[in-house]
Amino acid sequence: MPIYNPNHAWRKKAGFVAPAAAPRIVSVGTATPPRKYTQEEVLELFGETNPKVRSIFLGGHISSRHLYLPEPVDGVLPEESNQELLDKHLSGALEIGSRAIKECLHPLGLDPYDIDFFSVVSTTGFLCPGITAHLIKKMGFRESVRRIDILGMGCNAGVNALQTMASFATANPSMLGLQLCVEICSAAYVDKRNLVTAVVNSLFGDGAAAILVRQDPADTWQQGPRLIDFESLIIPDAIRAMRYDLDNTKLSFFLDRDIPYVIGANVEKPVGRLLGRNGLKSKYIDHWVVHSGGKKVIDAIEYNIGLTDHDMRHTLQILRNYGNLSSGAVLFSYKEFYREGLIQSGDVGVMIAMGPGTSIETALLAW
Amino acid sequence: MNHYKTLKVKQDGNVVTAFLIRSDGRNAINMQMVRDLSNLIDTVEEASDVAVLVLRGNADVFSCGIDLGDFPIERPRDIYGLQKWERMCRDMERMNKFTVAAIQGECTGGGLQLVLLCDARIAESRAVFRLDEVEKGFLPGMATFRLAKYVGLGRAKNLILTGRSIRAAEALDWGILDQVCEQASFEVTLQQTIQSLLPFHPVALEMARRLLAESYAASYDEFLGHYLAAQHRCIHSEAFRRLIEKAGGKKDSQ
Repeated sequence: MPIYNPNHAWRKKAGFVAPAAAPRIVSVGTATPPRKYTQEEVLELFGETNPKVRSIFLGGHISSRHLYLPEPVDGVLPEESNQELLDKHLSGALEIGSRAIKECLHPLGLDPYDIDFFSVVSTTGFLCPGITAHLIKKMGFRESVRRIDILGMGCNAGVNALQTMASFATANPSMLGLQLCVEICSAAYVDKRNLVTAVVNSLFGDGAAAILVRQDPADTWQQGPRLIDFESLIIPDAIRAMRYDLDNTKLSFFLDRDIPYVIGANVEKPVGRLLGRNGLKSKYIDHWVVHSGGKKVIDAIEYNIGLTDHDMRHTLQILRNYGNLSSGAVLFSYKEFYREGLIQSGDVGVMIAMGPGTSIETALLAW
Repeated sequence: MNHYKTLKVKQDGNVVTAFLIRSDGRNAINMQMVRDLSNLIDTVEEASDVAVLVLRGNADVFSCGIDLGDFPIERPRDIYGLQKWERMCRDMERMNKFTVAAIQGECTGGGLQLVLLCDARIAESRAVFRLDEVEKGFLPGMATFRLAKYVGLGRAKNLILTGRSIRAAEALDWGILDQVCEQASFEVTLQQTIQSLLPFHPVALEMARRLLAESYAASYDEFLGHYLAAQHRCIHSEAFRRLIEKAGGKKDSQ
C-alpha cells in the first residue's frame, strides 16, 4: 500500500499533472578515485601548519574526499607541473569516467556501442581533442555517435548539460543520451599557502557521474523521473565571483567569500519561476536534489527557500563524504535518493545546481 | 476568506481570526478540521494583506482534543490521519504570519497542541489546560517534542504522564502562556497582544522563529551558519534598507 503523502493530495487538488511523454533519467552511475583522504591527512600531506588554513580544512563540514594526489616525497606532496596536472586530468577522467559509464549502462544491459548521443562535462582541465573522443576510443562507442564536450561551465554544468540531453531525447524518442560529468578537481589545485587557495583545496573532490536519458513510452516511474521543466538564472554582476585565474602557467580557482550569500539571496527567483508556472509550491515538493557546493551555500539556500537539513540530507552527506564534486555533485545526490529507496510513483523533485556565471540552474523532476 | 465546515473565519484589517466551531460545542478535532486548518494556512499565507492569524474557540471551550469518533472501529486503523495532523501543525508553526492562540475555558489534548504552535498565547483566567492522551492510552502528538522546550523536561513529564489539569495562572508561570486576563478584558487583551507583535516583517519573523525552533537542537557551529544565512536575508530586505536610510547611512569613503 502506498504511504500517504500530503504533497500528493495537495498537488492533485491543485490540478498538477506531469506530462506523460517526457524524457526520463533512466540510470545513474558514479565513480571516484581509489584513494580516499581525510581532511587531516590532506593537511599532513600539504605540510600545513597555519592554524587559519587548518581551521578552514577542519571546519568545512567535510570529513573525507577521493583525490588523485601524487605520491608524497619525504611525507610531503611534491609540486606538480602544469603538464602533470593536465595529464592527471585526462588519465583520471578516463579511469573514473569509464567506471561511472559502465555502472550506469550495465544494469540496463547496454554498452557504449548502443549510445546515440554522448555528452561530457568537465571544468577541471583543458584538452583537445575532448574527453568524448578519448572515451569513444577507450570504450567502443559507435563511430557515428553524436557528441559534445562542455568545458569550463563549472559546478552548475551538470544541469545545463541535462537541458541539452532532455532536448535531444524529446526530439529523438527512444534514442539514448549519455551524460558524463567528470571532474578531477585535484588537477586544478594550486597551493599558494594562502587562504584563497586553502578554501579551494579544502573543498573540492574528484568524482564522475553518468546518467542515461531517453524518452520511451515503455518506461515508468520505476526507471526514473521525467524531466518536466528547467529554469535558469544568471547574475552577470557576479561574473567574477567564481573564476579561474592564471597563476604562472597553472589555472587557479578563485571563490569570492560572499558567493554563498549571493546565491542564497537569488535562489528564490529561478525556483519560484520553475514552480510557479507549473502550479507548484516549494512546501509541497517531495525531493530536493541540490549541488553540494559547501556548508555556507547549503545554509543560505535552506534559509531562503525554507528547506530543512532533512530536505538537504543527501546534499550534506555527499559534501561530508566526497567534498564538492563540481558538476557531478548533483548527480551523486540524485543517486543517494535511489539508494534510500523512498521514492514513490507521483513524487515531484527539484534539482538545483549553482556555479560560475554566477548561475543557478534548476530542473523539475516528476516520478 | 473561504467557507469552512469546522471554522468560522473573519478578517478585520490585517488580522484573520479563525474560530474552531464544531456542532458538539466542544470543538473536537476531526479530519475535516485538519483539512480546513491546512486550507486556511495556505490561504492566509498567500494573502498579502494579512499579518496575524488568531486561533480561538468559543466562550467555554477552545478544544477538547482529538475527535475519537472520527476513527473507524471495524477497519484497520492507520497512522496517516495523524501524520496529516502533524503536517498541518508544522505548516502552522512555520507560516509566514504571526500566529496567536486565544483561549477561553477548556483546552485539552490536540487543543493544547495547537496552542504550542503559536507565536503568542493568551488565555482568560478560567481556562484549563491538559494533555490527557497518555492517561487514555495514546500520545499527545508532537507535543512530546514541543512542550519540554517551553517548560523543561520535568514539568513536561508531569503534565504529559499524569494528564493533570493546570489552570491558566500556572500555565502562565510555566511559560506556556504570555498573558492571562479576566473574562471581561479578554477582547482588549487580545487586541493588545496583536498590537504588541506588530509591525510585521515577514522575513525577520520567519527567520527568527526558525532559529528559535532550532535552539535546543543544533550545535553552536551549525547554528552560527544558519544564523548568518538568516541574517544575510534580513539585512537585504526592504525593511532593513529603509531602516538604514532613516539612520542616515554611512557614506562610501573614497
